[in-house]
Amino acid sequence: MLAATFMLSAGIQAQQTAQMDFESVGRGWPLAADAAEHEVTGATFRGGFFQPGVPRTFLGGAMGGEVPEGIEPLARDLFTSDDFYADRDLWTDPRYFRCNSSAAIEDLWGANATGNQIMGPNPPATAPWGKCENDYPREAIVSPYPFRTAQEHYEALMAETKKRGGPTRHTYATVPGEWSGIYAHPGRTNQYWYKMRYNQIPTILSLLTEEYQTYYVQEAYHHGNTNAPQWQSQYCWPEGFTRRFHEFAVWEHYITVTPNMVQIVAGVARNFITDIHIGREFNMEGVVPRLGADVPRWYGETIGFWDGDALITWTSNIQGWKNHAAPEHSSMMQTIEIYTPNHDADGNFTGLNHETVFYDPQVWVEPVRIVRNLQKQNEFDDPDATPYVFIECIQSIFPIDGRATPVSHGQVIEYEIPDMYGRPWAHYWEEYFEQDMEKPEEEDIFSFE
Amino acid sequence: MRFINKLQKPVVAALAVAGLVGAPAQAHHSFAMYDMQNVRVFTGVVTRVDPAPNHLAIFFAPMNEERKNVLRDENGEPIIWSVEMGGSAQMARQGVSVNAFPQGTVFSVAMHPLRNGENAGSREGGMFKCPERTPPAAGMHCDSVEGSIQIGNEPLPAPTIE
Repeated sequence: MLAATFMLSAGIQAQQTAQMDFESVGRGWPLAADAAEHEVTGATFRGGFFQPGVPRTFLGGAMGGEVPEGIEPLARDLFTSDDFYADRDLWTDPRYFRCNSSAAIEDLWGANATGNQIMGPNPPATAPWGKCENDYPREAIVSPYPFRTAQEHYEALMAETKKRGGPTRHTYATVPGEWSGIYAHPGRTNQYWYKMRYNQIPTILSLLTEEYQTYYVQEAYHHGNTNAPQWQSQYCWPEGFTRRFHEFAVWEHYITVTPNMVQIVAGVARNFITDIHIGREFNMEGVVPRLGADVPRWYGETIGFWDGDALITWTSNIQGWKNHAAPEHSSMMQTIEIYTPNHDADGNFTGLNHETVFYDPQVWVEPVRIVRNLQKQNEFDDPDATPYVFIECIQSIFPIDGRATPVSHGQVIEYEIPDMYGRPWAHYWEEYFEQDMEKPEEEDIFSFE
Repeated sequence: MRFINKLQKPVVAALAVAGLVGAPAQAHHSFAMYDMQNVRVFTGVVTRVDPAPNHLAIFFAPMNEERKNVLRDENGEPIIWSVEMGGSAQMARQGVSVNAFPQGTVFSVAMHPLRNGENAGSREGGMFKCPERTPPAAGMHCDSVEGSIQIGNEPLPAPTIE
């Protein structure tokens, strides 16, 4: 269904790939489907707190305890189950999730101010249904390129660039200075699958390894059933690398271009700083390629080179972490990201096409791709440009009995120090909501009998 | 050391020759919480390496005297200690990192314990990593195990208290 009637913001554009004048081995390939032409799976509300002036409209299959016409519900699903681990065989059926996307499930209890009346009179059992017929195609999510690793991809692009006479060694006189400036909030100006609003959950699960399937469903269960969201920013925890691509985590992008460094700064609850080191090479001797010491970095380390006015980058040494309503990522994850200038019909620079391929064999069974466009909205010296706001998150929400709870000055609470590198969000779920579930057994690392 | 620039290098080199660089670390917090007069020595099983600031810390479960399992509390849960050392990049250059010390690694370390008796300390001297899944003999430490890896040039200090 065409989404022209659904686009949430006036600035939404078609999901175009890079404007290129040659056929590359590994960038700018067409998309199998345009997310901007797909309707969300729901269930959710259009309008409300985040869309003032937009009439409040239900988007989904059914609500109020009803079932969509022609759909036979499962006897046990995410909203009625007392042990999602035991339901593994049902996870491949969209009805287990009532045809909701993971972002829709996250919203059901009011997470993004949708209002929890959508849960019906007896939540979670009366949770609504999304549209079972809506699903963004899997083939548009997976990378179209033949590479198995980020290294292969980067080296192929480098070889191609060399054949074309590159890499380009820019000076301050030739570097594309028009890139420097402020770019619009990409979540508001793009539709793309990683918003996690366009897919049935089994489609995403089909792309994940068994371990990360479990993590993904675990979060969906605690979003939709127990209403115990554990978002990183609510506790002022690090946001993590994949939050760069989340709908709400990064707003305007501030890009500064020099011949040997391109810096991209963005954020809302945390600062995301991407330093692209032009012309550097990775140290390949460790577990993953890296630039500095053998210490995983929250937002990785990035190298890159220019092919004319296109910037080709490789990021590695990323600390594994979570997103929310989207799969977790491992410390093995690496990305290839390509920035290509967009021009209008008159040849004026309008922004950057941003194509990203994720390589994370611990998480994804195939590499996946996100294509977005960053629309330039201001020069740094525009009188109405908002300067970048550096964020220092001060924690005021703490987990109490496993639930995120705002606390007041002087209030004394019992607080368990989280194991920050051991999926601390999952610890709260397992400690407070999964005690009677049949969880997979963990390896005993303490016995040497 | 992370903040040394090109202009500072000659100065730092001179200090290093004089043996001064390794003296007081440029700490992010006071180390006055630790009892610098005393040393405890542990052999334990790594539960987590936390590379984040202030400094890299290894969380571990001390092994029992037999070196067949770990010490446990009245509920049967492993007792967890932590040992703080230098910054994560500095430690990585010594071979102490998340990747080099995965969960389950057996290692031996000496530390100045907290003055208040809680389960943490500040590393002192050399550290030894046992070969994978190969703890030392009863009552011994990893420096006694063939194939162990030494971290730092110093030996494992002797304890002053148990």
